[in-house]
Amino acid sequence: MIIHDFAQKLVVCSLLCVTLIFENVTANAGELTFERDIRPILRAHCFDCHGATDKPKGGLDLRQVRKMQTGGDSGTAVVPGNADASLMLQRVVSKEMPPGEMKLTDKEIETLSIWIRSGAKISRPEPENIPPGLGITPEERAFWSFQPIVRHAEPEVAEPVRGRVRNPTDAFLLAQMPEGLTFADDADRPTLILRSHFDLTGMPPSAAELQQWINDPSEDWYVRLIDSLLASPNYGERWGRHWLDVAGYADSDGYTVSDPERPWAWKYRDYVIRSFNADKPFDRFIAEQLAGDELAGPQQGDLTAEQIELLSATGYLRMAADGTGSGEDNPTGRNQTIGDTIKIVSTSLMGLSVGCAQCHDHRYDPIPQTDYFAMRAVFAPAMDWQNWKVPSQRLMTLYTEADRKKAAEVSAEAAIIGTERAAKQAEYMAQAIEKELLKYEEPLRATLKEAYESEAAKRTPEQAELLKKYPSVNISPGVLYQYLPEAAEDLKKFDARIAEVNAKRPAEEFLAVLTEPAGHLPETHLFHRGDFQQPLAVVPPAALTVACPEDARVEFLTDDPSLPTSGRRMAFAKWLTSRDNPLVARVIANRIWLHHFGKGLVPTPADFGRLGVPPTHPELLDWLADEFIQNGWSVKHLHRIILSSTAWRQSSRRTAMHDALDPDNRFYSRQAITRLDAELVRDRMLATSGRLNPQQFGAPAPITEDDAGQVVIDDNETRRSLYVKVRRSQPVAMLQSFDAPVMEVNCENRPVSTVATQSLMLMNSGSILNHAAKLAERCRAEATAIPDDQLANLPTLPAPPHEVWQYGYGDYDETSKQTASFTPLAHFTGSQWQASSTLPDPMLGYALLHAAGGHPDQPGRAVIRRWVAPVSGTLTVSGSLQHGSPNGDGVRARVVSSRAAQQGNGLLGEWTCFNSKVDCPAAATAVEAGDTIDLIVDCLAANTSDSFQWTAKITLTTVDGMVRTFDSAADFHGPPVSREVLVGQITKAWQLAYSRNPDPADLIAAMDFMADQIGYLHIHRDHIPSGLTESQQALTDLCQVLLTSNEFLYVR
Amino acid sequence: MNFCMYDKSRLMNISNAFSRRSFLEHNAMGVGSVALAWLMQQDAARSVPPVIKQKPVTDLKPRQPQFEPQARAMISLFQHGGPSHMDLTDPKPELTKFSGTDYPGDIQFSFVNQASKKLLGSPFRFRKHGQCGTEISELLPHTAGIVDDICLIRSMHTGANGHEVSIRYFHGGIPAVLGRPHLASWLLYALGSESQDLPAYMVMTDPGGQPVDGVNNWSNGFMPPLFQGTVLRPKEPRILNLAAPSHLQGTLQEQNLAFLQKLNARHLQQSGGDADLEARIASYELAARMQTAATEALDISKETQATQTLYGLDNDATREYGTRCLIARRLVERGVRFIQLFLGGQPWDNHGSIRTALPAVCKRVDQPAAALVTDLKQRGMLDSTIVHWGGEIGRLPVTQVMGDPAAAGRDHNGQGFSIWMAGGGIKGGMAYGTTDEFGHRAVENIVTPNDYQATLMSLFGLDHSQVIYHHNGQPQTITANRAAKVVTDILKSAPIT
Repeated sequence: MIIHDFAQKLVVCSLLCVTLIFENVTANAGELTFERDIRPILRAHCFDCHGATDKPKGGLDLRQVRKMQTGGDSGTAVVPGNADASLMLQRVVSKEMPPGEMKLTDKEIETLSIWIRSGAKISRPEPENIPPGLGITPEERAFWSFQPIVRHAEPEVAEPVRGRVRNPTDAFLLAQMPEGLTFADDADRPTLILRSHFDLTGMPPSAAELQQWINDPSEDWYVRLIDSLLASPNYGERWGRHWLDVAGYADSDGYTVSDPERPWAWKYRDYVIRSFNADKPFDRFIAEQLAGDELAGPQQGDLTAEQIELLSATGYLRMAADGTGSGEDNPTGRNQTIGDTIKIVSTSLMGLSVGCAQCHDHRYDPIPQTDYFAMRAVFAPAMDWQNWKVPSQRLMTLYTEADRKKAAEVSAEAAIIGTERAAKQAEYMAQAIEKELLKYEEPLRATLKEAYESEAAKRTPEQAELLKKYPSVNISPGVLYQYLPEAAEDLKKFDARIAEVNAKRPAEEFLAVLTEPAGHLPETHLFHRGDFQQPLAVVPPAALTVACPEDARVEFLTDDPSLPTSGRRMAFAKWLTSRDNPLVARVIANRIWLHHFGKGLVPTPADFGRLGVPPTHPELLDWLADEFIQNGWSVKHLHRIILSSTAWRQSSRRTAMHDALDPDNRFYSRQAITRLDAELVRDRMLATSGRLNPQQFGAPAPITEDDAGQVVIDDNETRRSLYVKVRRSQPVAMLQSFDAPVMEVNCENRPVSTVATQSLMLMNSGSILNHAAKLAERCRAEATAIPDDQLANLPTLPAPPHEVWQYGYGDYDETSKQTASFTPLAHFTGSQWQASSTLPDPMLGYALLHAAGGHPDQPGRAVIRRWVAPVSGTLTVSGSLQHGSPNGDGVRARVVSSRAAQQGNGLLGEWTCFNSKVDCPAAATAVEAGDTIDLIVDCLAANTSDSFQWTAKITLTTVDGMVRTFDSAADFHGPPVSREVLVGQITKAWQLAYSRNPDPADLIAAMDFMADQIGYLHIHRDHIPSGLTESQQALTDLCQVLLTSNEFLYVR
Repeated sequence: MNFCMYDKSRLMNISNAFSRRSFLEHNAMGVGSVALAWLMQQDAARSVPPVIKQKPVTDLKPRQPQFEPQARAMISLFQHGGPSHMDLTDPKPELTKFSGTDYPGDIQFSFVNQASKKLLGSPFRFRKHGQCGTEISELLPHTAGIVDDICLIRSMHTGANGHEVSIRYFHGGIPAVLGRPHLASWLLYALGSESQDLPAYMVMTDPGGQPVDGVNNWSNGFMPPLFQGTVLRPKEPRILNLAAPSHLQGTLQEQNLAFLQKLNARHLQQSGGDADLEARIASYELAARMQTAATEALDISKETQATQTLYGLDNDATREYGTRCLIARRLVERGVRFIQLFLGGQPWDNHGSIRTALPAVCKRVDQPAAALVTDLKQRGMLDSTIVHWGGEIGRLPVTQVMGDPAAAGRDHNGQGFSIWMAGGGIKGGMAYGTTDEFGHRAVENIVTPNDYQATLMSLFGLDHSQVIYHHNGQPQTITANRAAKVVTDILKSAPIT
């Protein structure tokens, strides 16, 4: 359960941060300095008590070596050159220090020891006095992610690989490759077309589109392909979804078990999609999400379209889980929501775990606790835990003045009808009581009338008693229909009119927004240990110190005089997106890279701090970030850069070179093979079967729980998966199985799992089977038969086993007691077999067979329904023959066995029937595979009015004891699918599923498969779902295989 | 005419042929590794020597351990939240004696606002049990009954009070750090899978929800997804979509899968090989076999009445956990390497009302856990199966004040606490290590999660420092190059390395 124990989450988080340990400190003898090597250890373990506070414990301040030498109450802490005399070392070695939880690792102690022994060196003179607090040292400031973004020159790349450089991206990557390694060959055109489609829009091209791009003769086909995909409305859906992950998008509040729905969250989702589609400059996108309300300005009259857009953007700040609308509207719940919001902002935009500084100075990154609260102060006027808006209070109506006026008119109009109705009802009530009272004699009648007409509350006890005694007099509007049915009908007409009028009321929509009351400027206190019950000093709003130039920390105005609101968030956004900010452009460029290559240049996209992983290609990251900024923060520009690079366009094919030099693909020497994201697996299936509803935007698609308790999407709901409701407590099983995030806070990076349970779902779940059935239907409907000349080049389809049921005409030889002739009927109308497309046929007249029966022609031309034994065994025949006409002379039915005929008498039964019904059982008889049982009907003397019905059931017990039944009506079928049609259907399935034609090897495999399936189903008819034929079921199975194959699930 | 061409061997024949071919093509990075493992077992069992140090493996075929193993399977009954050792497994007369007075030393509290230094003597009685005479609380009568089979470690130490910090330490080897493979993933990586029909690493969660830290409790971290835990649903059906719809069952689905794998094999070949594609192919083969194997393994109806009663299936309080313990035994019988049982949330996190909350959770867990050991023993499986029972931390000897004194509880304590282990080469009837007189800190024979991991690896015939996986160009081990020792004192025999 994700919503567990939220009350303790804050504490848990703080503990987590307290005890994170840092492993990468390496002792480097002889060169150790306090600033570079020792201070990070002390920061992690000691400064809490000995440096961060105004009054260090035991009087010992470890922030400077000079102060260590002075020491504290217990004396000198460090004696340079003398480890044994250094109290500090003794204390950590004995584990006496630090107290409580985490001790120094052996490696850290060794580092300390070496440093002291080698003289406790410092790298620069220490000032006599330093201000309180930990400050930020030059070493901390020197960390890579806090450096200004520098555009490095494109590296020189020597021939022969020089030719592979399509843009600077490639040069940066090649420059870092070891000797002998280079890019893989360019991927072929079909691969590139597929890859770019999934990458940019998440939707497959149709086979026709694919072919069109393959055949495009122009030089610039690739550029135009990318342009067309970037212009597709599906682009925003694909890339919007990436952003919704980090923004923590959900359609419910979470936090508590009830997990109430967030009915208008989708307005933010739609805003994100539109913004990506419009290639909104990302700095503007950030500003809108952080301060859309401030940008929108005050509402004057109706909200303008632009204001609606800007206010929708603030949904970003309403994404955090929030229990304050479901029973947790208390300080803990409120502060938790604020904390989560800050986490979303800091991880998605700044790539830093700022949240760790909620309780104390960050242990590893130079983020003092005051910085955390300075950031919190930015949001305080709008998210004030002491002046809180619960979710229902954040809804802003989108009603316009005209809507309101129209609604008032509607209400007035409805009220008029309501008044009419009331008058009419009163009239009917009077009538009803008059009529009812007539049943009673005076004086009782008058007494009852008086009692009834008295107001209920003012009735005397006698009156009340009286009405209880004669309850039928107590007529109320609710029971009026029992007295005057016609009155009730009449009143319903009024109700219908009222409903009709009310329907004209404009639908009211809302936005869930973050807004700031004018002039609301609550003070933000630093909370001791993050505990809101222990407020300390007031902290003004400001930027992260370390992300500002040294000695030039950006402080935001507490109140911007030019705005009714504080303007803090606007200022914050401006700082984030300023040219000098070292983090934001890198973080976003890294995320874009991540989604193109399956991994980031910084592998930890939400942690650019010391606990994250440094960039594999720092100069490339900076180049991309700079390019991003210089091109107006255009995301689409970055896509173009990346997609036009050799790195992106290369093949994913692994070669011996890769195995030898780059097995993990750390150097980008081939493209990654990536599995479709969870949403795309379903989207692609819908697109393939032609059921995808292209409708964009709007309220989320509902989810339900099935019998097994798993959350599923209604099968009729076929919009793209990003429109499916995201309920935190009810993740959709299929999406979750393929690693869609379950939003607790936000999702910084999706894992990609491969487990057997996914395979079971693909093999057995109803929804996948349904996708397959729908695809098969589409294949049948859209397939075209393959021309003869093409068929000639194809492998031969193995001959299927005999058709179990065959339909023909012929004759019975009474002398030899066997079927004398059997000729198949040549034409199938879709519901019956007959001689030709015309009826009566010039030769065979009305001879026909359908599921229930048929009609024979003249004597000597009986109709014969033949059953061919698929396996050996013993069978019985049952059923009844019916002739329903008083005209003519009726019909005769015979059951004839070919095996019995070989022994002299094939006739198992014979019956005649005229305007009547007879049972036609045949006793047990043995058959070998391939023997026939003929159900023969002839006309007797006259062949008029000879329509008959004969449903026969053959029950076959095989030698191994299996019992199979064959039902002449249920099994009735038309001709088997021809090879031309079958190949056409298979080809169609390939085109739809893979956007390509099957190659000869594919076709051989597919047709072998179809033959196997049809052969099996001929015998095991109980494996064919009702309403399908063998070949239909086989095609469904083929489609399921395609939809669950690696070619479908992975992009090369 | 021969209609018997669709026999069951057909699918296997196809996938075998395909695996053999791929094996030749791709050497140890072979395709359909599970099928391959099956082949290897059939042909020449365990023919592959351990190559873990030299080259990472990405399959589950059975591999030789590095030295003679004691154990081949493990069931971890993880007790999230921090069971109160002073009330369950670690009697402290001094604590009782000084109950109500102030603790003399320093204490690191988690809930500072509710902190007190008042010692809280256990309200529960302890008694000696078994031949070994180990003292166990009245709250764990069934555990007391197996005390001669278990080794009770009373000196566990994570050094950290936080739940997640310590959980990740136990599972992944470094406190607090996410993204590392679970101990079970390391075992799979080193030893492969014994079962070719079931996932080698299975996880059984609680109907009450996920444990704290969720899916991180069974993460494969930086290893391939092949080494990830497979989660059983906490209620029926325990594995969704386990059965094919009736019309597909049997030959038809076998044909489907054979065709699918044929297409996947061609696709893989055209891709030049890829670990993810191979894993997907293997997962289909496993899924196909799971359909029958798992259905049978999860069906406890064939168990005798006596066995069901042993696990407490006739009792509302114990039925749910007992059922899962019984299933765990059935899975081990069928070759599953590692099984984790979790409780929802963290029921042992008794910050308040410890007098009532603690007995309730004991009642749920005590009998089934003890039954598992008893059952394994009577079936002769205990010698090769390790059972682990324990949480990530313990609790403080002082009171956590929650207003009403009756609602008093205990705060977190990572400085000293108890776990127990049984079977698979662990000495029975033993209590190991001690905490101080009040139970706050482990003082003698301290065992860290890294020691725990090193010891378990040694029981499986592995040297924790020599099972290496390269990640980001760095050699990684379960114990992350941290100080870690095999606790030989608690082993029946010293590992022969």
